Amino acid sequence: MTAILKEDTMRIELDRPRCEGHGLCEEAAPDLMHLDDEGELVIDVSEVDGADVARAQAAVRVCPVAALRLLAADAADAEAAAE
Amino acid sequence: MTVRALERIVVVGGGIAGLTACDTLRERGFDGELIVVGSEPHAAYSRPALSKALLKLDGDLAAHELAPATHGAREIRGASAVGLDVERRTISLEDGDELAYDGLIIASGSRAKRLSDHPGELTLRGLDDAHALRNRLADRPDVVVLGGGVLGMEIASGAVAAGCRVTLIATSEPMSRQLGAHVSGILTRSARERGVRIVVTASASVDADGERPVVRTSDGSTYGSDVLVSAVGDVPNTEWLRVSGLLTGGRLLADGHGRVAPGVVAAGDVTGWGPGGVRTPLWTSAIEQAKAAASALLDPEARALRFQNYFWTEQFGHSVKAVGPLPVHGSPEVLVGGGDAAPALLRWQGADGIRSVISIDHRIPIPRLRRLTDAASD
Repeated sequence: MTAILKEDTMRIELDRPRCEGHGLCEEAAPDLMHLDDEGELVIDVSEVDGADVARAQAAVRVCPVAALRLLAADAADAEAAAE
Repeated sequence: MTVRALERIVVVGGGIAGLTACDTLRERGFDGELIVVGSEPHAAYSRPALSKALLKLDGDLAAHELAPATHGAREIRGASAVGLDVERRTISLEDGDELAYDGLIIASGSRAKRLSDHPGELTLRGLDDAHALRNRLADRPDVVVLGGGVLGMEIASGAVAAGCRVTLIATSEPMSRQLGAHVSGILTRSARERGVRIVVTASASVDADGERPVVRTSDGSTYGSDVLVSAVGDVPNTEWLRVSGLLTGGRLLADGHGRVAPGVVAAGDVTGWGPGGVRTPLWTSAIEQAKAAASALLDPEARALRFQNYFWTEQFGHSVKAVGPLPVHGSPEVLVGGGDAAPALLRWQGADGIRSVISIDHRIPIPRLRRLTDAASD
């Protein structure tokens, strides 16, 4: 899986119980995520690289409840495997 | 004038504005030396969480923690800047050290306003304040909250939820200066239903002569308590700039890009911003100003900030989100709900044609809330 990804690929991780649906992340990165009609956050593009990394970072940073994280894709895989 | 190459940028302020400025500098390709000076010993955290989740005795103790910084700056924590020399491009720290810079970002924030020097007059501004208040609430003391704004009401909400007997003293109907009479009515009704005694007075002061501080209102009444928390506003941390020549009538003012002087920009709670020079000490404005200011420091062609305030509050079981100019006046247009009770989505037509929208317990993403302020949304 990681082999086909570029080295600088990052993955956006959502801690759903923390999300309060402010939607500031959608404002920062509308191409990567949006809130659906119920106000639940949907990550449309979870693996990002290039210029999208900065956009994802901006979305992570603006979240006032720190519900989003940006991890190196292989680290996210390792974390998922450990759970 | 030659443009000085930026090899070292110093950021004064370790809060969300300083953090966002550092992130923005790196995103925009600044790969030079970056130094952050922060007066608190903590990494940047979410201040809005302090008076919300962090005050709940059964709440998430990590609710304020942000994703770790990735900007690779050298962080000097627990150190305050005490002076700035814009000619020599150096700041001085309280331990006597000096730091030279090519570019400076002023994000030194603000502190809680106090009405006395009595140590028993608590305030809630920093993380340590929140922990201290939370610990006090666990003993279910009688609490007096002074201030009927967002912070005062959130503290009263947390205290009454913790089982405390709470009196809130305000100089106008709580939340009316922020959200207008209509929403104030909904929130204060819920506060009273939960047992908060609300006292509206022309003015109030803190009598600090006794063992415990006592609030005295303009009609001569006094209000004692086990715990007094003042939530009466904030004071920008500008003392270290006093002889810098950058203050105008004691205030720090940045233009619509965040620029203060050559090589110096400012963002966040410390600074007035734009043509009106108004300070907007809110989470989202600190972030947006920091992005704009950091961009302007690197790029003279950077665009000015165009931004509409957003703020939210959680109190007495209600979740309120607001965009557009505040306070609102008069009766709202009811978009969702019954109007006088929650949940509701309410819209006001501002005098200058700019509309404000407030949602109460109606879950709606901010981008959609903003679109409702557009005339095109009809």
